[in-house]
Amino acid sequence: MSDNSSPTVIIVDDEEMVVGAIQSFLELETSFDVLPFTSPRAALETLETRTTHVVLADFMMPEMDGVSFLTRAREIRPAATRILLTGYADKQNAIRAINEAGLYHYLEKPWDNEALKLIIRNAAERARLFEELDRRVGELERANEELTGFRERLIQAFL
Amino acid sequence: MSHDPRVATATSGPSDHPQELINQAHLATLGTLVAGVAHELNTPLGAIHSNHDVIERALRKLQDILADEVVTPDELQEVRKIVRAMDGVLTTNGIAVERMLKIVDGLGTFGRPDRAEVDRVDLREGLEGTLTVLAHELVGIRLVRELENVPRVECYPNRMNQVFMNLIHNAVQAMDGDGALTVRTRVEDGGATVRIEIEDTGRGIAPHLIPRIFEPGFTTKGGRVGMGLGLAITRQIVDHHGGDISVESAVGKGSVFRIRLPVRLPRPEAKEGGSGETG
Repeated sequence: MSDNSSPTVIIVDDEEMVVGAIQSFLELETSFDVLPFTSPRAALETLETRTTHVVLADFMMPEMDGVSFLTRAREIRPAATRILLTGYADKQNAIRAINEAGLYHYLEKPWDNEALKLIIRNAAERARLFEELDRRVGELERANEELTGFRERLIQAFL
Repeated sequence: MSHDPRVATATSGPSDHPQELINQAHLATLGTLVAGVAHELNTPLGAIHSNHDVIERALRKLQDILADEVVTPDELQEVRKIVRAMDGVLTTNGIAVERMLKIVDGLGTFGRPDRAEVDRVDLREGLEGTLTVLAHELVGIRLVRELENVPRVECYPNRMNQVFMNLIHNAVQAMDGDGALTVRTRVEDGGATVRIEIEDTGRGIAPHLIPRIFEPGFTTKGGRVGMGLGLAITRQIVDHHGGDISVESAVGKGSVFRIRLPVRLPRPEAKEGGSGETG
């Protein structure tokens, strides 16, 4: 995919160093707009106001667990792709999240940067395709409305 | 020296093989400690590991840019990006190294062999060190520190830390990842006694079990190796320091374990007199 219009990626982990390490890596290797958060609540507030393509969240957070956070994120921005970052023994929770939060992928800590990049790129591409689909459906709906209007005017012209 | 009559819960007598019990419990504590430290180190190590990769990539990019001795405007943009990323790497590594130093410091107050000797210590340091090595267990738990200034207590610091670890670990286990843990220090008897309390808002202990919880081998935790020794050893260590331990608990509301320690260790002659003798 091309990076020229910079997809937005939100990263949430209560550990500042995890967020910082991922942010530095993505800033070096991609052109994504990376928004780091250590508070899930603050991240949700931003999601309300900002178009977001990818949301990456840790599972174990004191304020709110990652599955609850991503479930809420899904309600706010259904088109954003959701990824869970899990600890060593959290696989069961990741599986739960696949259903509850509509999870696209989960990454285990310690993560591999190359795998992280690939997953986030694909996730951003997926979000773009959703956006594109949404736009096309919108266009179709508008075209349909126009046609319906035109048909009604045509019928009235002949009556 | 006989047991303090105020300790209503410490009903069982000392074991026939106290040293063996202490050794077994020490191994169990060591297991918890090692697991805790390994877990705690994973986060900073993960960050540093990732940053190492970022530095390597950045260096390769810079080498590519400098290879032809000419820096184009696009490349200059790239250099700026690298500098920004390196700035982030530096900040993150700083936090990660700080964290690791704190963990090692916590370990230092916890298990250094030289702390096996009697020393006069600020027990709050031992409590803080224990909280540091158990931090991974405290996710989701609200931690309340009510650590009043207390006089230094003459004790075996390693042993006291083992007590703190047992009690804090048990408190966290009783809460299943949701609740408040309060760690409290207070001065009593005009400075002659220090009181330490570990309070949880967990499931509590049924009244009929309370008299038994300090018995060696008693456990409600379904076969976790060594755990049944935790409270027996805790009581034994507190006894050896001339202190007492008690518990107040309400099912569904939580428990408070309360330790009272004299600031001066009883003289060895008095201690070796045995529990049944009057000296």
